[in-house]
Amino acid sequence: MLRTDEILSTIHMLHAEHLDVRTVTLALNVEDCAAPNVEHLCRKLRQKLISRASRLVEICDRVAAKYGIPIINKRLAITPASTLLAGHGRGAALQVAKTLDDAAAECRVDFVGGFTALVHKGIAAGDDVVIQSLPEVLANTHRVCASINVASRKAGINMDAIQTVGHVILKIAAATAAQQGFGCAKLVVFANIPEDNPFMAGAYVGAGEPEATINIGVSGPGVVSSALRRRLALDNKLTLGDLAEEIKITSFRVTRVGELIGREVAKELGVAFGIVDLSLAPTPTVGDSVGEILKMLGIAQIGAPGSTAALAMLNDAVKKGGLFASSSVGGLSGAFIPVSEDAALSEAVAKGHLVLEKLEAMTSVCSVGLDMIAIPGDTPAETISAIIADEMAIGVVNDKTTAVRLIPVPGAKAGDMVNFGGLFGSTPVMEVRNSGASTAFVRFGGRIPAPMQSLKN
Amino acid sequence: MNRFEHVYVLNVMSDDHPGIVAAVSNAIESLGGNIDACSQTVLGGYFTLIMICSVPESIDPDALAGRVLEAGAGGFDFRVMVRPSRGLRRPVTQESCDRFVISAFGKDQPGVVRRFSQYLAGKDINIVDLYGDRKDDEFVLVGQLEVPQHWDIRMLQTDLEQMGLDLGFTVKLQHENVFVATNQLRLTTAMGPAN
Repeated sequence: MLRTDEILSTIHMLHAEHLDVRTVTLALNVEDCAAPNVEHLCRKLRQKLISRASRLVEICDRVAAKYGIPIINKRLAITPASTLLAGHGRGAALQVAKTLDDAAAECRVDFVGGFTALVHKGIAAGDDVVIQSLPEVLANTHRVCASINVASRKAGINMDAIQTVGHVILKIAAATAAQQGFGCAKLVVFANIPEDNPFMAGAYVGAGEPEATINIGVSGPGVVSSALRRRLALDNKLTLGDLAEEIKITSFRVTRVGELIGREVAKELGVAFGIVDLSLAPTPTVGDSVGEILKMLGIAQIGAPGSTAALAMLNDAVKKGGLFASSSVGGLSGAFIPVSEDAALSEAVAKGHLVLEKLEAMTSVCSVGLDMIAIPGDTPAETISAIIADEMAIGVVNDKTTAVRLIPVPGAKAGDMVNFGGLFGSTPVMEVRNSGASTAFVRFGGRIPAPMQSLKN
Repeated sequence: MNRFEHVYVLNVMSDDHPGIVAAVSNAIESLGGNIDACSQTVLGGYFTLIMICSVPESIDPDALAGRVLEAGAGGFDFRVMVRPSRGLRRPVTQESCDRFVISAFGKDQPGVVRRFSQYLAGKDINIVDLYGDRKDDEFVLVGQLEVPQHWDIRMLQTDLEQMGLDLGFTVKLQHENVFVATNQLRLTTAMGPAN
């Protein structure tokens, strides 16, 4: 029998602190849709997505109602489009992307990820088609999300790919200039891309994954900050260790909810349950913010000394609580710091407390990387590439996932406000210091060799 | 399973104070008896206890009540009721049930519990645990329910939410697994946790 105080505490978490499941992502292998003729390929692709995913939203809605927990996003992820597009041209890429976009709309899912190229060691024919088609694809689709893995612990950092990607990002921004370069928000550049990530824009299905799985992304920054606030109000002699414990307990509860929902959706859909991604994913809603948690931990101005340490503690506590709650942990699993999607981070940028270099330091101890950052539209391609290279180095050397999602906003200067709408939020354009000063480094090209740590065998 | 042949159900109500359970158990022991099951609740400063006890020799229920009363009264408002246990078990319903939790919050008014409980009774939904509390003009009601599986949960939810709207209450009906998952270490199951 449940105790009343347990019931009341969960109800408080659900209704007053807005606990939700951020995403239920159906991961599908679509390699069997490959065909020499692009029309044939697209028909098979559409057929597979519709037959596998058409019930996803309805099942999610039913399970969400049964438990009284909102599921914010329902998404699809596929095996890399580069595999399907090997042997085809850029025209085929747009057709495939539009097929994905239309099928996703028909299934009523929010996004479909997996317009992906894995180029950490070199660019194959299909990868090149994907990368070069991105400006056209991201400008002409709504739901398609793209990712490029340009570095890995084992392969090192592919600087040729990064150099290309720098130019492609500027082209995407130009192709979506009317939406302030929003196309770039649908592309993530990775080191050590996870094969089971449910979060966009980086979700895709890696080699070795089953035919179909349900992967879950939980939310919870709002729940964590509420738990900390409540605990701090009860006791004014807490140490950081006590606060880490509170975060851990909250993370346990949030993760258990994610796993409960994921397993039931998977069962109803008749596919395997994959993983729960333990990431704390903020939304622009005030209070549902990782930045807010840093403030609760005593960092009055996010970006001030101590920010990295506080974030490291938060990230670690989230993982520890989540690991006990679920034996199927995967994806990115860490705190996200997407600037435009987090009201407190965006405010810290506006006030000049948080700069790009400090964000980069913070990404070395948390999940993802330089995420949803608007930069001036005239930032040189080589500087964008160099920012990516720095972030990739953090990932490769520390054997973790890092990523970059930069949005050069055409015509915008540092300090201008941009609003991407909805969950993407708004942010001031961040200053990029020393712009243009890395050109020679990037133009060397080649590959930065894998670090010593990769030689473990 | 009871330890001895003669089984009684015993109910005690009293002002809450230390020593009530000790007094009751002393009285049972003085008869060479055994406490087979018990549950107590304190609400609004009042203590209530229900107990299944068994004794080796048959005893008149009033005499047993007298023994407990004598042991426990000590100047307090102490009432005891005893009857022979008929070993009742809740009748097994024809179909299996799932466990749900109803919660309702709103401005207190007479008739809230009646409205919800009448609706649930009409659907053959058993209330296995009930909690209500009035604080600062606000009333919170939490019930743990056994819901026959043939009901469409979303229909029940819609009915209850509508009833809540009429009363100015926020009402939720949620499967109990979400409460198990967030508070307890035991596993959840699709049919609700085994108890």
